[in-house]
Amino acid sequence: MTTARSATTVPEAGAVVPAGLKGLLPVLLALPVLGLLEWLLRASPFATYLLSVMGVNIILAVSLNIVNGMTGQFSIGHAGFMAVGAYLAGFVSLMLKGVAISFLPEALSDQVFFLLALLVGGLSAALCGFLVGLPSLRLRGDYLAIVTLGFGEIIRVVVQNTDAFGRALGLSGIPQTSGVGMVYFGVFLVVLVARRIAGSSHGRSLWAIREDEVAAEAMGVDTTGYKVRSFVISSFFAGIAGGLFAHFVPIINPGSFTFVKSMEIVVMVVLGGLGSTTGAILAAIFLTLLPEGLRSLFTSLGAEGSLAQKVDQIRMPVYGLLLVALMLSRPQGLFGTKEIWDVLPKWWARRKKGTS
Amino acid sequence: MSAPVQVTPEAPMLEAAGVSIQFGGLKALTDFNLTIRQGDLQGLIGPNGAGKSTAFNALTGVYRPTRGDVRVAGQRVNGWMPHRINHLGLARTFQNIRLFRALSVLDNVKVACRAETLSHQEHWLPASLFIAALRGVGGVGGEKGARGGQRLGEQLIEQAGALVLQGWWRSLFLTPGFQAEEQRITERADALLEVMGLSHRRNEEARNLPYGEQRRLEIARALGTQPKVLLLDEPAAGMNTREKADLMVLIRKLRDQFSLGVLVIEHDMKLVMGICERITVLDHGEMIARGAPDEVRNDRKVIEAYLGDSYLESHGGAA
Ligand SMILES: Nc1ncnc2c1ncn2[C@@H]1O[C@H](COP(=O)(O)OP(=O)(O)OP(=O)(O)O)[C@@H](O)[C@H]1O
Ligand SMILES: [Mg+2]
Repeated sequence: MTTARSATTVPEAGAVVPAGLKGLLPVLLALPVLGLLEWLLRASPFATYLLSVMGVNIILAVSLNIVNGMTGQFSIGHAGFMAVGAYLAGFVSLMLKGVAISFLPEALSDQVFFLLALLVGGLSAALCGFLVGLPSLRLRGDYLAIVTLGFGEIIRVVVQNTDAFGRALGLSGIPQTSGVGMVYFGVFLVVLVARRIAGSSHGRSLWAIREDEVAAEAMGVDTTGYKVRSFVISSFFAGIAGGLFAHFVPIINPGSFTFVKSMEIVVMVVLGGLGSTTGAILAAIFLTLLPEGLRSLFTSLGAEGSLAQKVDQIRMPVYGLLLVALMLSRPQGLFGTKEIWDVLPKWWARRKKGTS
Repeated sequence: MSAPVQVTPEAPMLEAAGVSIQFGGLKALTDFNLTIRQGDLQGLIGPNGAGKSTAFNALTGVYRPTRGDVRVAGQRVNGWMPHRINHLGLARTFQNIRLFRALSVLDNVKVACRAETLSHQEHWLPASLFIAALRGVGGVGGEKGARGGQRLGEQLIEQAGALVLQGWWRSLFLTPGFQAEEQRITERADALLEVMGLSHRRNEEARNLPYGEQRRLEIARALGTQPKVLLLDEPAAGMNTREKADLMVLIRKLRDQFSLGVLVIEHDMKLVMGICERITVLDHGEMIARGAPDEVRNDRKVIEAYLGDSYLESHGGAA
């Protein structure tokens, strides 16, 4: 059924693809691409590592954007949920080390257990998200910020004092079953979920809450429920990101999930534009490459060790400066609440008009 | 022979009985009574600070009555969250326009056009059974969804149930049913924009609309929730005389087209008197008069409290 009205809506692929398949099409397309990517990068550990870190950051930024951008709440403890996912997924994998499914090839069996571990990590983080979100999201204002901040710190303290999680030393020896393929499958999933929620009545309810909570409630939107659910979804993906992270770094310890990490994710979301998924992705890429770029720059300048190490120390001031510069020059972030495909064509048109 | 008009004693859609609201020491509303049936077009007037908006807030659940009962469609809704009261068929606009400013005009209305899945969830038997079963023997009594009071486990179950049953997964998989529903929501929203004369603004951001159109968009949005009773808080404020007159005609048309009961707060006396069949007058939170426009117009207390001498001078002779 096509109506004349559809001319003004976003063009859909519905005409070519049967409606039932439309939902799954991206998945069917993504899987071979990711497989190919993994295969291409098989001999390049550095690229694999860098891309994995980038992918994890994208997942974190896109998922935080669901709460901070789309729903307009302010969570500043995303690293805490990442930690929950990392430790629980890592713990599960350590427990299952050496176990294999007999009728599957070893590599495949490993991936099955890896998926299982990720799921445990993600669901645990989601549960924490619920427990943290429910009391704080019922209240207005800045309670969520305070509570999530506290949550991140509590998780760190708990981990530091739990033998099963290796205390301050952390967990090591987690099977390194992650690869670019799996990480970017996670990226793919979170982007898909974020975009499809945005295009549904659920997404509209989230924006409505961001714009005016009282009005949203008056228009029949269960604001508390929606806030909690968006927070749970966001926490779930932070847990997935943590789980992925735990399976490609040699060791996870409480130092990886500090307040600095949380702020890094917040900066990504704000930089990209609160509410913009593509903005969050670009900002995550940029803020992953920035320290790596600085590090290689310092290394190539011959400052082995010392200066390169300083990169990590100057992170916070750099983020701070970035935020200040951003607030002064472009407070709405890179794309505001829009997506890249909303912004670029207009920008391009204006540019062309200006030059000709 | 023309078909006989069916005249049934309509049950009141909205009922306030002895509602009082107190802010600290200030009695903003005292012993407020009101009944609205389908087809009513009533006015609520009173000087600044009389408690008109407070009455709206008490009826729609923004404030919880200090005393008294509010009933919507026969249900006592004291202490309910506003969205649940809205689901019973009570919608409103705001005096200080509260649109979703950064959203498009169309999306403003679409937010209010609740997905059918959401409505079905409450009536769909397997869903209610599922939730009831999950709740188990928790012994949940009383008013579901009242502010607070629910146990953590119940909340968890309810949220998990909502994620499954409210069809979030349908939006993730873009099921044909979901796409068709989105299409229907868009069509419904477009139809409402048409009624309110806003179709030409469809894709603009709500904040960029001129004042009068923003007020009309608020009404379109309220209609999106498919109300049975519509509360309009100074819908014509800031409009010029001509726009105001048009709006009043439109409000009457809406009442007929959507079989609504309407309650309007309006400062412009002439307008209220012109379209409302029954008027309630508030002063200092108390009802000082109620009746047909002519009765109210000639009520001593009203003249003293609200209309003032200047009104008498300009209108007294004509009446
Ligand atoms: N949230 C609140 N807290 C404290 N006092 C309030 C609150 N809301 C309203 N009031 C007070 O209650 C009284 C009634 O206010 P209300 O807004 O209902 O008046 P109104 O009749 O709508 O007036 P107007 O014509 O100016 O809109 C006023 O004195 C106001 O200051
Ligand atoms: Mg008022």
